[in-house]
Amino acid sequence: MATTDQVSRRDVLRWVGAGVAGLATGTYLLTPGTERRRMRGRKTVRYWHMWSGEWGEVVQTIIDEFNESQSRYEVVPLIIPGSVGESKFLMGTVGGDPPDVMTHWAQVIPTWGSQGLLLPLETLMSRMEWEDFKATSYPVSLTTGMLGESLYGMTIGLNAFGLYYIPQHFIEAGLDPENFPKSLEELCTISELLHRKDRSNNYTRIGYVPSNFLNLSQVFGGGLYDFEKSELTLNSEENVRAMDFIVEERKKVGFDAVNRFFSGLDSASFTGGWPFIGGALSCTFDGQWRVEQIRKFAPDLEYKTIPLPPPQGGRPLAGVTNGNFMIIPKTAKEVEGAWEFVRFWSGLAGSEQAASLYTRGGWLPLNNRIAEAPDYQKYLRENPEFGTFVKVLASQDLVGNPPVPTQTFIMDRANRSEDFAIRGTWSPRQAVEELEKAVVEEQERRRRLGYAV
Amino acid sequence: MSRQKRQQNLIGYLFISPWLIGFSVFTAWPFLQSLWLSFTRYDIISEPKWVGFANYHALFTQDPQFWQSLQVTFTYAAVAVPLGILCGFGLALLLNIRIKGQEIYRTLFYIPSIVPAVATSVIFVWIMNPQIGLLNGLLKTVGIIGPNWLNDPTWSLTSLVLISLWGVGGSMVIYLAGLKDVPLSLYEASLVDGASAWHRLKAITWPFMTPVIFFNLIMGVIGSFQYFTNAFIMTNGGPQDSTLFYSLYLFNRAFRYLDMGYASAMAWILFVIVVGATSILFMTQKKWVQYGNN
Repeated sequence: MATTDQVSRRDVLRWVGAGVAGLATGTYLLTPGTERRRMRGRKTVRYWHMWSGEWGEVVQTIIDEFNESQSRYEVVPLIIPGSVGESKFLMGTVGGDPPDVMTHWAQVIPTWGSQGLLLPLETLMSRMEWEDFKATSYPVSLTTGMLGESLYGMTIGLNAFGLYYIPQHFIEAGLDPENFPKSLEELCTISELLHRKDRSNNYTRIGYVPSNFLNLSQVFGGGLYDFEKSELTLNSEENVRAMDFIVEERKKVGFDAVNRFFSGLDSASFTGGWPFIGGALSCTFDGQWRVEQIRKFAPDLEYKTIPLPPPQGGRPLAGVTNGNFMIIPKTAKEVEGAWEFVRFWSGLAGSEQAASLYTRGGWLPLNNRIAEAPDYQKYLRENPEFGTFVKVLASQDLVGNPPVPTQTFIMDRANRSEDFAIRGTWSPRQAVEELEKAVVEEQERRRRLGYAV
Repeated sequence: MSRQKRQQNLIGYLFISPWLIGFSVFTAWPFLQSLWLSFTRYDIISEPKWVGFANYHALFTQDPQFWQSLQVTFTYAAVAVPLGILCGFGLALLLNIRIKGQEIYRTLFYIPSIVPAVATSVIFVWIMNPQIGLLNGLLKTVGIIGPNWLNDPTWSLTSLVLISLWGVGGSMVIYLAGLKDVPLSLYEASLVDGASAWHRLKAITWPFMTPVIFFNLIMGVIGSFQYFTNAFIMTNGGPQDSTLFYSLYLFNRAFRYLDMGYASAMAWILFVIVVGATSILFMTQKKWVQYGNN
């Protein structure tokens, strides 16, 4: 038994335990972070991206291939959760610990570019390279990756959207799937034959229902930005017409009924759970990545793709898109290595080698040279439905979102206006006017404060 | 003060110094810094620039969403806080009755309050799904077509108020502890006098519980003005701004639009509102809160 003068065994154990815990904590805190480096002696290129799971594995194969292709740099990746991608980059950059290169979505480019966070990539190219880049890249990679005359984001995978449809559903509805509607109005009319309801009058299957004002405003001949004049065009007759079309079509199918139907589906699923694969959607507007998804999860599904038919008086092969872009912070420590990696992946360093990289994730290329490379052509032969998106991608009328620092605000407000309109709170014209009013007021306020707008 | 006393004080302060340093660096300094930032234009990247009252002026005169977010938050506080008190207190009274399995019931009602808000939100998104959700499924069995809970502006805020009751077990435990302090002798005396259950509740339980209810009221009001997670995950302010809570709008201004000066001004307005609401409640307490010594 322990007395006040004696130290018991329990006391000794307690002190030893506390000492070990303290030592372990101290060692953990004082040990510098270990980077997953495998190639000692090379310069480290710190690369942040937001792909995880199967996509992360694909990206890792590209990183490995780059690391093996040369002997000066080692790209060390760090996977960032998508939800904190922006804040992590901002904190890292402002705090003096930025990545050397990061893959981000296109939306951040105007804001970060205008704030001087990003390195203008043309400064890393020779004059000839820069001219060649501008001449050969698909138009949309310029409208999306550039701000003013500077290129702040290099595409490594553009997105394009088109219609996916199930021919069998068309046949069951007495329609000829080979004779697809030539106009958006006609598509909406035949979609009524594709919808199915149960005995409780709930939708069990839906054809095409137009939505997404951002995209359709461009399709209707308007759009939120005039890229030639470099100015916002929020309130135009074409935009009102697009909003009106969305509202009228939604009225036909019933806003609440469609809302309930979609709320029961996992439309964002990147697996076999995508409702189109399950047959809940007969005809849907979606991105090119679904081709790869169907190949993986439902290889026997019989489906077709086709560009969205234009409305009367509208633009064919038009729309608004985005994609994955490589950005290099101005404060990056290993700019040369980062740029080498960007050139390798984007295809600036060689179209043929890059073509195989693009096909791994079912990504759309930077330019037609890559699309025509043998590996990419082989991919298109194996996945013929992917060709639709390459065709859309080459269109002059496929553009990015407004390249202005207030882009996020504008997109939020555009979606809000659409929401108010389709619920009948605002008329289509009022919705467009409210959008313009909110954006003008916000820009004026920011201008008064001295922000870039 | 004797030397020994000073030495004791010094040792005391040394012991609490980690907290004092942490509080000064991570709470007090950012708190004061945000007051200064509210008078600046600041986007994280460039240096803050003094703009006077421009942020406050824009908020009060040019921003309808600011007023909408205030309205949503006040409505939520006005409904969810009293409802939470009523349900928490009611549950505590029921679970204070000596029945078989009392501890199990208490545990069952308490458990939801320790489920993380994110997990709760994800679960309720499915429970309240209009097409395949559990709630509408139950309503359907009695012939009612349930609403589109989270995606209908007339129901979305109500849905979030109902979901707030999920965490009522936390306050229930505090009420239960308070009920234990009510002297049994008073109940016994009232029973002898022939008082009904309602009279016992009104004349004994309620007065003794008012300090606990007051505490929960204060905490509930402060919590309501900071309401964020569920709305962020489940509705993101929609539909039609019907769940655009003040903190959510503040977050969007700060981290979506990188307008830290504007967001700091919003934070200080929120601080003033919370201090004001709490002060008013403290002023009313003399009229209805009964402490043991009075």
